[in-house]
Amino acid sequence: MVDFALTSEQTSLRDMARKFARTEMAPHAAECDRAGRFPEEIYRKAWELGLMNLNVPTEFGGTGLSLFDQCLIVEELSHACAGMTTSIIANCLALEPILLGGTEEQKHRILDPFCAEYHLASFCLTEPSGGSDAGSLKTRARRDGDHYVLDGEKCFITNAPFASLYTVFATGDPSLRHKGISAFVVPRDTEGVLPGKEEEKMGHRASATSTVRFEGAKVPVENRLGAEGEGFSIAMRTLDQTRTPIGALATGIAQAALDHAADYSKRRQTFGKPISEHQAIQIKLADMAQAVHAARLLTWQAAWTIDHGDRGSLESAIAKCFSSDAAMRVADEAIQVFGGYGYMKEYPVEKLLRDAKLAQIYEGSNEIQRIVIARELLQRYA
Amino acid sequence: MEIAVLVKPVPDAETRLRPDPAGKGLDPEGVKWVLAGYDESAVEQALLLKESAPGTTVRAISYGPAVRADEVLRAAIALGCDRATSVEAPAGVADDPLVTAAALHLALSRFPASLVLCGKQTGDHESGLVGPAVAELLAVPEYGVAVNVRLDAGGAEMTLQQSVEGGLLRLRAKLPALVALQQAWNDPRTAKLPNILKSRKAPIDRVPAADVAAAVAARLPLATRRLAFRLPPPRTGAKMIEYKTPEEAAQKLVRILREKAKVFP
Amino acid sequence: MTGAVVWLERTSTGVAGASREAVGVARSIAGGGPVVGLLVGAGGPSAAERIPVDRLLLVDAPGLADASSAQLAALLAAAAAASGADSMVLAGTARGRDVVGRLAVRWGAAAATNVTDLVAGGSGELHVTRPVFGGRASETLELPGPRRILAPRPHAFAEPPPASAAPPSEALVLPDGFSALPGRGMEGFEPTVGSKGPELGEASIVVSGGRGLRTPESFHLVEELAESLGAAVGASRAVTDAGWRPSSYQVGQTGRAVSPQLYIAVGISGAIQHIVGMVSSRVIVAINSDAQAPIFKVADYGIVGDLFPILPALTAEIRRQRGLTGSAPG
Repeated sequence: MVDFALTSEQTSLRDMARKFARTEMAPHAAECDRAGRFPEEIYRKAWELGLMNLNVPTEFGGTGLSLFDQCLIVEELSHACAGMTTSIIANCLALEPILLGGTEEQKHRILDPFCAEYHLASFCLTEPSGGSDAGSLKTRARRDGDHYVLDGEKCFITNAPFASLYTVFATGDPSLRHKGISAFVVPRDTEGVLPGKEEEKMGHRASATSTVRFEGAKVPVENRLGAEGEGFSIAMRTLDQTRTPIGALATGIAQAALDHAADYSKRRQTFGKPISEHQAIQIKLADMAQAVHAARLLTWQAAWTIDHGDRGSLESAIAKCFSSDAAMRVADEAIQVFGGYGYMKEYPVEKLLRDAKLAQIYEGSNEIQRIVIARELLQRYA
Repeated sequence: MEIAVLVKPVPDAETRLRPDPAGKGLDPEGVKWVLAGYDESAVEQALLLKESAPGTTVRAISYGPAVRADEVLRAAIALGCDRATSVEAPAGVADDPLVTAAALHLALSRFPASLVLCGKQTGDHESGLVGPAVAELLAVPEYGVAVNVRLDAGGAEMTLQQSVEGGLLRLRAKLPALVALQQAWNDPRTAKLPNILKSRKAPIDRVPAADVAAAVAARLPLATRRLAFRLPPPRTGAKMIEYKTPEEAAQKLVRILREKAKVFP
Repeated sequence: MTGAVVWLERTSTGVAGASREAVGVARSIAGGGPVVGLLVGAGGPSAAERIPVDRLLLVDAPGLADASSAQLAALLAAAAAASGADSMVLAGTARGRDVVGRLAVRWGAAAATNVTDLVAGGSGELHVTRPVFGGRASETLELPGPRRILAPRPHAFAEPPPASAAPPSEALVLPDGFSALPGRGMEGFEPTVGSKGPELGEASIVVSGGRGLRTPESFHLVEELAESLGAAVGASRAVTDAGWRPSSYQVGQTGRAVSPQLYIAVGISGAIQHIVGMVSSRVIVAINSDAQAPIFKVADYGIVGDLFPILPALTAEIRRQRGLTGSAPG
């Protein structure tokens, strides 16, 4: 049975996230964007309110939400600032490998203390030599008795300069490609773990991104997630879980762009009337609204599919790809509705375009998503 | 000790207010009912007292149509209140602050508290009458526009401040009492996500509508009757003052304030 | 309706302006009956100055200058019994409204606060209009008789002209059981640090500053303008969040709701959060560098421009005008 109505519980979760987004995040979004400031006080508050470790079950100290409910929250947060949202949900990405690949002992040992206090974690998969081609990663994990020694460099790692925990993917033997990769949980205070300096980014400037270098970092065997060689599978299953919230993040950006444009169109006058009364603008707004609605529904459907036990590769790839493309289009049109003002940093819409761009790139570029979609699709015509 | 906090469902601040078809009240269609403003400050005060005095329990009490009352009671529980009482409004009963006070008085007679907290007014009718009227019905003193309530002497006394012109009055008072709180002085907390989830399943005690109807019957002949509910004419936008120098802008504005607006002293 | 009792609330400088306004309201609803003033606290009839009441009831007791609302409710009920009045009018101050709530129960009367307009019907009905939802709507209420209590909103009604002579006065006999009523329990008074102006919620003029002032140091421009007008100082949430001024300054949905005669918004863009806290002000002036700022949608008068030269110019002009007002003939 199809039912698009939110439960009263979901409504209250969404309202809480909306309130947090509007009162805590939105007032600082422009300033953090301009200065490239990482507003840790906001992230700390997000953690206090249970907005940070959304996917971690309550028994390990997280909030334990369904993917659908996570998406409701992520859209609201992103409406205020996509960059802050990226930093707030980075823990979900970084901790998912532990949820998928960890033993009960590992989950309790690692997650219980982590979730009990404000901590950030980073997901370390991408390397300078290639992001989408994860099978060819070069960071080495050499077994040495009761520990592994990690050497190599990861890049574009969200929250890395501020994280206290890294989930790291490294290979025992590059010639084995995918099958050589293992996953590790590496505390920041491990000797030889060296986060780099923050990158200057086009958008998501309230989020921090840097490299992380591993120089002979010793990681105990009990911090390996799953079996040796299981790392690639863990990484891919993680991304299956976290791809859909990126659709929600993009939907939030698109909704914000539409809201700004519609509001401005009613206030801005040309030729003696508000521009909202000109059909040229109405057509833009109507197209933007369609994109927003479609993005949200595709995201909801993907989340629903995964919550009902399906892997949802096709649905989540469609949700992420469509919503981020839609966010780009809608933000672009919002700038056009604002005209010259839209191009000015004093107005909020140019930021949306810069923020939307990343949603087309990270957590699997939209090209990769399309490959996944085509593969899933063509299988059905065997 | 027992603390009761009176909370009222009011339309969310962003609700677009609309008169009902008869023009005699707010059209409830599509309105989201929330715990807001003054009541948030009252709940926050109750929770601060609870945290300062172990063994204290806080009960939120709300009067109104059960669906609306339940929403704000769950919000109060999510914030940290221990118990909740929904005082069900009889269908069609007069919407009058003194009737509300009589209904809340009934609830407080069933769930007694040595300290009753409320907002100094509600964000809808803004009468400010419910708190003092409940206090009179309970025969306890009331303290309005209050901030910074602290319990003393094991909960037998309290100190508080009243926000008045030019500063704060410091008072010491005995319990039982009712305190009506000033808005927005204590930075009300936000409910945590896990607590919101738990609050959806929390039990709510009920005072049935039939009992309420009997309790308010004596007050009904004195209830005010709403004849009209209307929106102010929309503001048409500011008249812009044209000027060449700041001095000219200042002179023009002062002249307008004096001659047109007649608000300049 | 015949006869009305008015509580003449006192401030450090005499009978409150809002109570004088209440006397005018009482006259309109007294149906030709006497308007009786009740004055509580130290001092004889002279304390009532030349307020145009027909009769004055006095409770000359210094200890009751800070009477609790329970005590005041008992005294007002006694005054009504002594004068035979069936209406009461109390200034809609915070204290006045507390008394009204108790009195409506004790005296068995219909009550309405925050009244901004009234229609005294010929056949004994009394209709009043009052703003609701922070001024975003208004309602008209009918108060059934026979007993009614009104609290007019401060500044909503004109003060009646003073009487030519002091009214006759007599002492009010304290009602039975009065001594058992709890007092107010006052211990002391702490003036607000740095605030010389009137209280935000009660002021007839409010000047508020927002993020457009750019730095906490420039907020004094707002305070100087407020001082020149005898106004209270408010702020937007951006200012209080940034810690430029304490949160007690905040006007808006999560701060204080104000409805003065004049509201001047300086460097405030006008988020809905702020608008709901000030939109019911009688006259709104906005000064902002952004002509598209939403504040101009709700303002009556707007100045678009750089705040930094305009504010001092405005303060200087007001000071100059007020100086001239004092010395100019007529």
